[in-house]
Amino acid sequence: MKTSPWFALALGAVFVFGEIVLASALFRLQVLNTADFREDQAVQTKRRVRTPGMRGRILDCKGRVLADCRPSHGIRCNLEEFQRRGAASNTAAAVDLAVDRLSRAIDLPRQITSAQIARHLRTASAVSLVAWQDLDDRSFARFCEHANEFPGFEDFTEVERVYPNGSLAAHVLGYTGRGELEGFEDDPVYFSGKEIKGREGVERFHNGFLTGVPGEATVWVDARGFQLTRERKDLIEDDRDGDIPPSPGLDLTLTLDLDLQRALEDALQDVTGAGVVLDPQSGAVLAMASAPTFNPNDCIPRLSSAVYASLTNAPMKRGQNRAVSEAYAPGSTFKPITALAALKYGWLPDDEYDCRGVYRLGNLRLHCWDRFGHGPIAVRQALEQSCNTFFCNLGSAVGTNAVLEAARAFGLGAPTGIDIGGETPGVLPDDAWKRRAYNEPWYPGDTCQMSIGQGMLLVTPLQMAVVAATLANGGRVYRPFLHARPEGDGPVKPVGTLPFPAADIELVRLGMKDVADKGTGRRILLRQEPPAPGTYRRRSFRLNVDGAGKTGTAEIGRGETKRKNTWVIAFAPYENPTVALAIIVERGESGGSTVAPRVHSVLASIFGETETTSARGGSNQLEGRD
Amino acid sequence: MRNLLAKLARMDWVMTACILLLTVLGTTFIWSAGSARQAASLQNLWAVHACTAALGLLIYLALATFDYRKLLDLTATPFYVVSLVFLFAVLLIGAERFGGKRWLWFFQPSEVAKLAVILFVAHVFGRAGRESFKWFLVGMLLLGAPALLILKEPDLGTALVLVPAVLVMLLAARTWTRGLVALLLAGLLAAGTVLGTVYVAERDANPERRAAIYRFMPLRDHQLKRLRVFLFPERDRRGAGYNLHQAQISIGSGSLWGKGLKQGSQKLLGYLPPSVSMNDFIFAVLAEEKGFMGALGMLALFLGLLLSGVRTAFRATDDRGRLLVLGTTTLIFCHLYVNVAMSIGLMPITGLPLPFISAGRTFLIVLMAALGVVQSVNIHRED
Repeated sequence: MKTSPWFALALGAVFVFGEIVLASALFRLQVLNTADFREDQAVQTKRRVRTPGMRGRILDCKGRVLADCRPSHGIRCNLEEFQRRGAASNTAAAVDLAVDRLSRAIDLPRQITSAQIARHLRTASAVSLVAWQDLDDRSFARFCEHANEFPGFEDFTEVERVYPNGSLAAHVLGYTGRGELEGFEDDPVYFSGKEIKGREGVERFHNGFLTGVPGEATVWVDARGFQLTRERKDLIEDDRDGDIPPSPGLDLTLTLDLDLQRALEDALQDVTGAGVVLDPQSGAVLAMASAPTFNPNDCIPRLSSAVYASLTNAPMKRGQNRAVSEAYAPGSTFKPITALAALKYGWLPDDEYDCRGVYRLGNLRLHCWDRFGHGPIAVRQALEQSCNTFFCNLGSAVGTNAVLEAARAFGLGAPTGIDIGGETPGVLPDDAWKRRAYNEPWYPGDTCQMSIGQGMLLVTPLQMAVVAATLANGGRVYRPFLHARPEGDGPVKPVGTLPFPAADIELVRLGMKDVADKGTGRRILLRQEPPAPGTYRRRSFRLNVDGAGKTGTAEIGRGETKRKNTWVIAFAPYENPTVALAIIVERGESGGSTVAPRVHSVLASIFGETETTSARGGSNQLEGRD
Repeated sequence: MRNLLAKLARMDWVMTACILLLTVLGTTFIWSAGSARQAASLQNLWAVHACTAALGLLIYLALATFDYRKLLDLTATPFYVVSLVFLFAVLLIGAERFGGKRWLWFFQPSEVAKLAVILFVAHVFGRAGRESFKWFLVGMLLLGAPALLILKEPDLGTALVLVPAVLVMLLAARTWTRGLVALLLAGLLAAGTVLGTVYVAERDANPERRAAIYRFMPLRDHQLKRLRVFLFPERDRRGAGYNLHQAQISIGSGSLWGKGLKQGSQKLLGYLPPSVSMNDFIFAVLAEEKGFMGALGMLALFLGLLLSGVRTAFRATDDRGRLLVLGTTTLIFCHLYVNVAMSIGLMPITGLPLPFISAGRTFLIVLMAALGVVQSVNIHRED
């Protein structure tokens, strides 16, 4: 024989060696490095799905519910039940067909388009597709009856926002909407449904507080990215160690007082305007209203284009919170600030100016509302009478910078920093600003205009409420806030103090008291009803508190568009005030006649009013103007 | 009859036992892989495998008891010629599946050719006076004709395992030994050069230079792609490297004892492509579900089979018998080694079934027949 048996043995050695190589390679793979491969497998098989926590409620200062949660029923589609061979479009078509069939069978219009189905399959096939959401009870019941006939579809319940008081405090609360989580749209392993988030108001500003901490759940997917069907799910070892339960959001307690809020909204219901009521000792917002208003329940679960249009279309702009996002000329309500500026820079309380009914400065001729002039008049009386010529002269006498400094001390020209979005800073014009905006230098007439709250000066109702609160408390400027501070946090620290002597501030306060007692703002304290039919006696009602205020009537526009925005700022009681407010009504008559009665009704809701026996019987005590 | 029983008594029972156990193993994992599939024909494929194995076992026993010398005299030449004809025929009228013409009616001629070539080479070279260079050329011709036809299908894997089997036989037959060794070394060098060139070309960031290098390479696109995946497995895990990556995850995540029969999540969730989980990548299913110990058990069975073959070759009393045993065991070893090594990334991916375990009727029958002849060499040795 020519072949050798030893050759066979040598070959056997090669076989043994080859098997040892394979076995050691397998040992490395399956024993030494197995953790890496288990990890690789987990990465490609597991998906994380966010589970949102229940949104916290919003409460008023006495714990009454302003925003709540309600159950909302919907139908979702488990895509894995509709998997088709071949291209993804086959599966999309199958789902589309099934949605159509269900839509016809239970007589529900479709809520998702074919394109949305295709997109969901492309980006989020691991999570089920929400086909209908927020169904009414009858439609939902119809589906539940027939659910067995539509495999792959199932009902689900989620939480939806509801505002039990309808439109009350709508602009403060804002509303919510559902949206995809930003930053995770194309994340291949992390999914979230359309979660509730605050779109406007405190819902938006305090969204993080209300949302709570979302949890995470694990979902297993197959190679095509679909969740496992039930039969296959049983075959997989189901370790749910990584699941994190969601924590519900916290209840947000606001400083708002529901009763006062309602009184303020009632006072504004027939006009366009805004009002803010502050606690002058802390800056807490007791009420904030903007008119016209809207019902935030209409925005849920989705903001339809019709509702969106009604919120944004001019001139109503129902959605706009005029209290913080609209700036108006303050008119005569600015005069206390001019007065303080002048007193600081040398104008004495008893210094008089002779009002002749018109103020001339170069080409400018500025009329006082009293055509015959007030005659010689000092600061306190000029405030009571709201004498334009006096304050024009005062502003011109101390100069622009003094007036600007005083306005800045009150926080005008800058956002107040309230915890609600959309605040506009207003305009505190100076030479540089005017050159930027109009490419014109500052004229002496501009100072005059600013001194009486006209011209280019613009403020928000909230800023004027802060002015009222600051005058009320004797000079401490507080940042207004809506989110109630926890008890035991101690007194609120002011963000600033007025740089004026206490005596000057007291003088201005006295002037404002005169306004309410006998000046242009008498209707703040006093209400008269017209004589009942068949009688001639007017009934008078007086607030059970004394107070102070300042009216304002700002003329805007020329010719056809000429109109008046009417103001009142006020606080009460006069000593140790607990309420300070600013109200503006667009296109009013005058501050004293249009706004003061509304302020009266708001204050009456707090302090009450008493019928008074009028000494002058049937005469009208409320004649007069700004 | 007594003669037949006496022959069976001389049988190498280790080999038979290993064959039986490997067949059972194969049936089990085809059943397991099929259970994750929708089609009933795939779910029941294990039964087809078992029946084929039973038929194969009959052939195995028949050939084992039939004197291999008589068999070679009678059939080696016509079998070789007929299988060449089949290889021609499959190129002309074969059915096209998975991008290759490999099927003629109900069988794959390339699988049959493996046995035919081994038998014929053993028949021709298993006698004195075959040591010259001239006979080396004859050997190359006997190997080259079917190998080229198989490459044409294309079925690179089958052609590749046939080469070492025949070379081992020629080496054992001392045909032009010095030249053969030189040729083997040259072959290894050529393979190393190709791999090295691809490595250098792929490392080169300049695509123009890369294209220039590839212009001189005798490689097809899909072969180049496989070499690329082998050299840089982490580059294209979602595309060309997907199968390998998923097979590695399957095997690696199996750990020591595996996830349990039918519990292989890689297979269940379709990450291990279902189209290959019963055939070329069935080892990944086994290693995932039975872990390192399962894989070790399978390797042990193969080792038992191979070493019993080696013992048969060692004890063979006839050159032809020894050659055909050496050829057959080498063929099985190559199948095993290439299949497992490619599943774990030790070798480039080559479509090659795992003997006894992968689903595939022709190959199973051919294997049984070849081992039957090996057993016949054992039984008919002269003590």
